[in-house]
Amino acid sequence: MTSFITKTSLKTWLGTLLKDNTLVAPAAAAGLTFFRPVEKIEDIAFDFTNTALSPKSWFFPQTETLSGEIAGNGHKTLNPEALEKNAVLFGIRPCDARGLAVTDKVFLITPGDTSYIERRQRTTLVGVACLEERAECFCTRMGSSPNSPADVDILLTEDGDGYLVQVMTKKGQTLSAGAGQQQSDKAVPPIVPTKPPARLPLKSAGPSPDMDYWDQSIADRCIHCNICAFVCPTCYCFDTFDIEKEGKVERLRSWYTCQSPNFERIEGYMADAPKGVRMRHRFYHKLPLFPEQLGSGYAACTGCGRCVVSCPVNIDIREIMDDVEKFRASVGEEKAPQA
Amino acid sequence: MDDKITLAVREKAKELLEQKVVDCFIGYEKATDNLTSRPLFVYKPEQAERLVFDNTCVHNLSKYLLNKKDTKTAVVAKPCDARAIVVLLNENQVQREKIYIIGIVCPGVVDSRWGSAGTEPEVRCQGCPQHTPPLYDFLIGEPTDEVEQDAYTDVTAMEEMGDADREAFWKEQFQRCIRCYACRNVCPGCYCPVCFVDLKEPLWAGIRVAPGENWMWNNIRAFHLLGRCIDCNGCQRVCPVNIPLMLLNRKLKKEVAQAFAFIPGMDPKALAPLATFKKEELAEPSK
Repeated sequence: MTSFITKTSLKTWLGTLLKDNTLVAPAAAAGLTFFRPVEKIEDIAFDFTNTALSPKSWFFPQTETLSGEIAGNGHKTLNPEALEKNAVLFGIRPCDARGLAVTDKVFLITPGDTSYIERRQRTTLVGVACLEERAECFCTRMGSSPNSPADVDILLTEDGDGYLVQVMTKKGQTLSAGAGQQQSDKAVPPIVPTKPPARLPLKSAGPSPDMDYWDQSIADRCIHCNICAFVCPTCYCFDTFDIEKEGKVERLRSWYTCQSPNFERIEGYMADAPKGVRMRHRFYHKLPLFPEQLGSGYAACTGCGRCVVSCPVNIDIREIMDDVEKFRASVGEEKAPQA
Repeated sequence: MDDKITLAVREKAKELLEQKVVDCFIGYEKATDNLTSRPLFVYKPEQAERLVFDNTCVHNLSKYLLNKKDTKTAVVAKPCDARAIVVLLNENQVQREKIYIIGIVCPGVVDSRWGSAGTEPEVRCQGCPQHTPPLYDFLIGEPTDEVEQDAYTDVTAMEEMGDADREAFWKEQFQRCIRCYACRNVCPGCYCPVCFVDLKEPLWAGIRVAPGENWMWNNIRAFHLLGRCIDCNGCQRVCPVNIPLMLLNRKLKKEVAQAFAFIPGMDPKALAPLATFKKEELAEPSK
């Protein structure tokens, strides 16, 4: 048996949740949609395709400030931040929920990132399955699926004048207790089949026979802005900046990206490397290196397609995967070093 | 007509590369959506077949000349792109003898983003000062004297807002800014080795993505292009959160046009008013 919630009941339920929780949901602005804390149900864009920016910013805000004190001996203490209320993230798509599974791998490693842990533990994910595939979507190529319930607490699948409801976790059970769902004899549609996650086949570091490809086909075109990393649901690099004033200390943390020339100056790793190396690093980190290092079983790309749409010069990760596959075929298996 | 331009571009690229007049040819090819276009770098004559030109060729390719200073490079340039090259020449950023300009008599381009080719002309094409590039080595199309008068209707509308409304309008726009700096990185006029926003000492705008710092970033970016912006619409086109940056740029363009009767990028010999120093300006201002 599945349960079903009408569109009217859903709005009533969300309205109830709004009383004790921060409700983060897709809302329209400037012709686009963004995940934002909403004040009333009318502000939610229920008919959105996907948001311009990923919901990662709720868990890993673009800028965070930790405040603290400087003791007499110069010792500094930073105070962890606590959310005022529990939160509900409504409308997250399965690809973006997979994105959280990726950032979990990074921020939950012991001892963990206090701010991320606080936000992640106190937020319940109410996902909405995708019924249409847009031109930029490729989640089924990355081991996810438009209606995968794997990474959310509750998944809603639109059906007529309501949604089929799948409750996946205890957190989801607790939240949906007062949702006003009815029993339904309709089955949830089967999960859209997915291929195993795509991985770039070549060695991830050091000199490689594919460098001409990166230099001439990709790096020449890239303008090295931060768009791809900032719209991405999995990119997690950040920069910090400390401010000390009158016995108080503030630590700012803001998103950063490996595509910025300043980043490499700080990291050192690619300081004198040509642009192509920087480009190659981005894709190799997302595809073979991330699962290798963190044992995630899936790549740090979820196929949401935001970078495909937003890149000013059309650097398309799907095309890169195809090209590298072709390259591998052309040089022969034995010459292509394994990842 | 578009096909004719495409064929002419391919033919010229092949010729220039075969005869080794240039080592690199920068033009456009179809993007992965098969609707819009993207920049293409051609190094071998046989790759010239990939080149195209149509009304989705929105990118200002002159920016890439800054990365090819040591390579003899040909570039496809619409009039506004050629105006950017003029600005770069004025400011001694590129060498004329290293550049071969394929000028295109431009019918205008459409507002297009990946996945949708669009039908509306871009904001830059309204009020375009010239449909023939001011500078070229080889011209594709028939030169025309047609000039559009910029009516600045968008700018006037902004000026007519009250101070409080205008401030509220821009605060709302800038609070969406994610500081990706795509507006800077796409701009041919932004070539500082270290941008003020990346400086930690002195700190002009910090790393905090917050109202005050976003305000600082967006305004200084626009002011640094005062009398230099050639309306290519690049910054506004690439903005992932739809901030109407051209409105700021165009306001400044209007001010410079009124104060100095100057439109940037039209004359390779004319220096920008704000980059010019005259001895007589040392005199005490008249009271």
